[in-house]
Amino acid sequence: MSPANIPMPRIAAHSLTGCAGELLVILENLDKLIPYVRVASFPFAQSTNEDRPVDITFVEGSVSQRHDLEKLKHIRATSRWLVAVGSCAVWGGVQRGACSRYKPEDMVKEVYGEDTQIDVLPALPLRDHVRVDVELSGCPINASQFLSVTASLLKDHLPYITHKPVCLECKLRENPCVLLEKDLPCLGPVTAAGCGALCPSMGAACYGCWGPCQEPQMEAMGVILSEKGYAMEDVLSRLMAFGAPPHLFERMTVHQQRQVKTHERI
Amino acid sequence: MSGSERKTVHIPEICRVEGHEAVTVEIAGGKVESVQLEVFEGTRFFEKIVLGHHFSEMPHITSRVCAICSTGHVLAAINGAERSLKFKPSLTTSLYRELMHLGMIIESHATHVYALALPDFVGAPDLYKFATEHADMFAAWTRLRNLGALIQTIVGGRPFHPVNLQVGGLSHYPTVDELAPISAGLEEHFQLPVDICTFLMKIKPAVERTTSPSFLALIPEGKAYGYFGERVRSSDGFEESIDNYKEYLAEHSVPYSHAKRSPGKGKPLMVGSMARLHFYSDRLSDVARGIYARSPLAAGDTNTIWNNLAQAIEIVEAFERSKEIIRLLKQDNLVAKGHDSTKLSPRAGRSAGAVECPRGTLYHYYELDEKGVIRAADMITPSAQNTARIELDIREVVDQATDPTSPQLQANLETLIRAYDPCNTCATHMVSVRYR
Repeated sequence: MSPANIPMPRIAAHSLTGCAGELLVILENLDKLIPYVRVASFPFAQSTNEDRPVDITFVEGSVSQRHDLEKLKHIRATSRWLVAVGSCAVWGGVQRGACSRYKPEDMVKEVYGEDTQIDVLPALPLRDHVRVDVELSGCPINASQFLSVTASLLKDHLPYITHKPVCLECKLRENPCVLLEKDLPCLGPVTAAGCGALCPSMGAACYGCWGPCQEPQMEAMGVILSEKGYAMEDVLSRLMAFGAPPHLFERMTVHQQRQVKTHERI
Repeated sequence: MSGSERKTVHIPEICRVEGHEAVTVEIAGGKVESVQLEVFEGTRFFEKIVLGHHFSEMPHITSRVCAICSTGHVLAAINGAERSLKFKPSLTTSLYRELMHLGMIIESHATHVYALALPDFVGAPDLYKFATEHADMFAAWTRLRNLGALIQTIVGGRPFHPVNLQVGGLSHYPTVDELAPISAGLEEHFQLPVDICTFLMKIKPAVERTTSPSFLALIPEGKAYGYFGERVRSSDGFEESIDNYKEYLAEHSVPYSHAKRSPGKGKPLMVGSMARLHFYSDRLSDVARGIYARSPLAAGDTNTIWNNLAQAIEIVEAFERSKEIIRLLKQDNLVAKGHDSTKLSPRAGRSAGAVECPRGTLYHYYELDEKGVIRAADMITPSAQNTARIELDIREVVDQATDPTSPQLQANLETLIRAYDPCNTCATHMVSVRYR
């Protein structure tokens, strides 16, 4: 607890275009933060919100419209630490997966009709528009990672977040490898850790919701999935579904011509 | 309401709802001229996002439409894909899915009832005030949503965006031992939702709509107060298969909003807890049925505010039904048998799928090619179906008001909209009034 004469650190949480999942994780963990911070602005969860500078702002969602961009710039200007939370804010999320394949202007016409006036931007992560201090990926973010990031920042300390592959966590749980032993199309080797290897722990293949790990070995991933009989177009579609940037896949497309053994679907 | 001047009631951003939403009411000559509920959440094009993906990816991708009802989107996607593939899950699989769904009902309803709606009734506009001055309610919410999250974590792998529910079954069937913490939680916290029902029943509605809504809900399979089915029933006297959803829900978009709307055979619809209780209160378990019988809902009062109470009654029902499901799973050792394979052979087909989500009926529709790849898709959310009715509620309430621009009326309008638990994510401003 802060002594009475020292003001409490002020935090804020906002969403751009997303599913509100990170706001929900933050809301569900607020009971642990309430003794140490003032919630200056959190419109999802309270009606009285201040528009003044804050110490930490958590932003979820991708920038998908001009309204998002204006809001993000204002948030950046009024936040000491800007933390991008969730796969949408860090990678662009599932909506970026679609924007890599279709033009947003065309999609908006198709979904809302030719004469729509809805304003759209290609879905992109926060770092493509403003400086971001900390990126905490996850879909949704892991609650204990969120609390440890917050605790670090409250002590003016940049948090350590691992970007190693999720295989590391999977091995620590002593799971049998679903990729090598069950031939499932597991994306664990190229996906960032943080979830605790949830899918393989339940016997399912990782589908990459955390976004790419650091230096993902896309070429090797492509080779091994081709050897398992998965068509490269399926592999790419699975990998891009959660918004991983398209340039990562350039190395794989060479294999698309060379390595495809079968067109059997996943 | 009187006076000949033009007035505009404008609520630029409604707080404590999931999403970004504004309301504009135009008044001329003492009568409401137009009501616009504007949703300006960024567009996400899920109907396009899913194209080209395999049906087995649908649960994981569509769950991202919404966090708090992600389990509903997962189950609607699974239902749509399985109906298209002509696959019927085993009783064991269905029971696990229902338990998972009830976990979402508890978590979502508790979050809406306590954290989003209650602050209006206890006068706590900010979280700090709510958490400190109403610590018992804040703690009750924490326990209930933790329990809802626990159920979804044990059955689905995490509190939302579940990883364990697949088209064709579960990738892991939890054991009797793994279900034990759920049973313990259901026993320990049963009194909490009962108490909040008692509290909500005593609320005096501040405003009243003047017409009764048209209710629409799925007809539950089986005899329980269920959330899954293949046909819908309307209080306007029709029953339809969900495959004809396009006929009875006419979805269209309006230039002022990013949310599509579906008014329902031309008449504004209300879907969700109140609609379900309207049709199926006789299927409730003992305690929930007793509470319902004492509630204004049983007396035929359809004031919008009672949707909060209806949700609380459904939490009680979810507790009783979850206990029953766990009993059924243990009986005959269903936990250990009837496991479905999660690999279904692809075939071309098209089908709708539907579930009763916390806020109402959710429809997913898919067309699959012979390889099992999605070639066309459609989704209709409960909030899209409720929008026209919310606008009508606002119109009826403002028409009765002596001073439509008073801050109190606008606060009441926000409470009214919130009672629908509209699903978007919110922004910052307070209510404002413009004259012109």
